[in-house]
Amino acid sequence: MAIAPAEVRLLIEAALPGAKVEVVDETGTQDHLRAMVTAPQFEGLSRIDQHRLVKKAVQARFDDGSIHALSVETSVPG
Amino acid sequence: MAEPELKDKVEELINDHEVLLFMKGTPEQPRCGFSMRVVGVLDSMGVEYAALDVLPALEPLRDATGQIADWRTFPQLYVKGELVGGCDIVEEMAESGELAELLGAEQPAPDELSAKQEPQADPQQSPPMRIENSQRTR
Repeated sequence: MAIAPAEVRLLIEAALPGAKVEVVDETGTQDHLRAMVTAPQFEGLSRIDQHRLVKKAVQARFDDGSIHALSVETSVPG
Repeated sequence: MAEPELKDKVEELINDHEVLLFMKGTPEQPRCGFSMRVVGVLDSMGVEYAALDVLPALEPLRDATGQIADWRTFPQLYVKGELVGGCDIVEEMAESGELAELLGAEQPAPDELSAKQEPQADPQQSPPMRIENSQRTR
């Protein structure tokens, strides 16, 4: 099973309105993805909590096996 | 739901070890590229840490750490009872110096941080490690 980067992006954008999201497929196999997320919701949160928000948005696709690995980079809009 | 006993045991482990890594495989024989990278970071810091191989009980441990720390993927690094993060966060914090500070370790030289992760590999020749594919359960 695999998931398109665009779908991951939509899931994250839906969970974090106003976020800037870029998702790339690191291996070409659509199961190792990297998401770069800049979101106002991250303001004041620790890194682990920022990542929790992103992971939560895509958790269902982890649980059903569509995503095997997702690297996350988070930042607060400058 | 994780069995209550397992969750209690995991909590006890987290509280009893100042630096604890949940990983796939062992530090000597990591069975996932991300776990291997965290081991590399910890080794470069020269700190002592406990490592637990999650593979023998992957799903129950996911449930347990999900309940304890709201985090279900491995590796997971705990320091002083708190979840620091997985591979991404650990590497980011290693580069920025935050991890050395948290661990009370000296910040390794930048080349040491990356060099120790793949001691014998020629970066030009070796493909990125993706052996965690073999652990796929679905």
